Amino acid sequence: MCDTEQQWIAEAKAGDKDAFAKLVEKYQKPVFSVCYRMLGTPTAAEDAAQEAFIRAYQAIDRYDTSRSFATWVLSIASNYSIDQLRKKKVTILSMDNEKHAWLAPPDPGPSPEKAALEKEKLGQIQSLLTSLNEVDRAAVILQYWHDYSYEEIAETLDLSSSAVKSRLFRARQLMAEKWQGMQLPSAPPINSTAKRIAHETSTI
Amino acid sequence: MKHQQYETWILMGKELNQGQQRELQSHLKGCSACLSLYKAVHQISHLFNTSPVLEPSPGFSTRWVTKIEKAENRKNQLILGVTLSVISLATLLLLSTVGLQIRSALAYFPQMMLEMVTLVANWIVFLNQLWDIVTPLVRVSMKLISPVWLYTIAVSLSGITGAWMISLFRSRTLQKELSA
Repeated sequence: MCDTEQQWIAEAKAGDKDAFAKLVEKYQKPVFSVCYRMLGTPTAAEDAAQEAFIRAYQAIDRYDTSRSFATWVLSIASNYSIDQLRKKKVTILSMDNEKHAWLAPPDPGPSPEKAALEKEKLGQIQSLLTSLNEVDRAAVILQYWHDYSYEEIAETLDLSSSAVKSRLFRARQLMAEKWQGMQLPSAPPINSTAKRIAHETSTI
Repeated sequence: MKHQQYETWILMGKELNQGQQRELQSHLKGCSACLSLYKAVHQISHLFNTSPVLEPSPGFSTRWVTKIEKAENRKNQLILGVTLSVISLATLLLLSTVGLQIRSALAYFPQMMLEMVTLVANWIVFLNQLWDIVTPLVRVSMKLISPVWLYTIAVSLSGITGAWMISLFRSRTLQKELSA
């Protein structure tokens, strides 16, 4: 954490809203990204990210400066998104929803083919993520997009390291099954047990 | 080694040592199910890693400032509302209590007034009767007893009173001397 950031935190703790706004400016991208991956729509992500920063500002007195601010604020965003998913307040809308186009992430490029490809990738990612439960989804997002270690994920989601390992293992398994199903949409879903049996049979 | 162990290794991520990596690679050459799982895990990892961290639309922090100000205004209004409600409720309770007290006092007010009037009337009657007794007595005494006698009686009474006062004073002085 740089000195400037510590200064902003100290000023925010003293009630300076503008100092906290600078922290918002700095961490808006990772917080929005986590919320977007968790909730699946730019509208819900915007609302959740805003709310996460409001909660962080209101709880800044309780923030322990020995911890990373990024981890702390992402923890608030992740837990808020998990709560939102659990309350089922968020309606997973289609990625093609034109109503919220103004909130959509920046245009990936001028080429329509590239844009279409990016859109397809986004759709695939959201499809994989929605196959997971809320906490597993948060763990996957923090690991793949934010390069968090098991310990950091554990701290962020208030879990033990071994629980994180086990959740990520299960998440990869579920996503792999889903992915295999997505690659062969006409074929029936492959059951891992059935695959294992087929393999054991083939190796005899 | 059993097949399940290889699946576990594939799903473990980046935690395999070099020996395990080699063993897994050699297993994948002969096992299509594990190869399919391995490919799926790596394709997902590639898909995630090549997808950028998303950004909010411009002006996010400005919108946040607007939102926090609204939230604070709402909070202040709520605090003000709660405070005013509590004060109003307390005032209402106080007024109700005072009203009830006045009401109960009003119920006994005529009786209190009646008692006071009776007391005053009794005193007036008593003083009147006393006056009726004392006035003829004084009038008759003035007529029957000569002024010389009246002066004598007055002087005698004064003398007796004076002697009593002096005796009281002396007895107190004597007590002090004895105690000293």
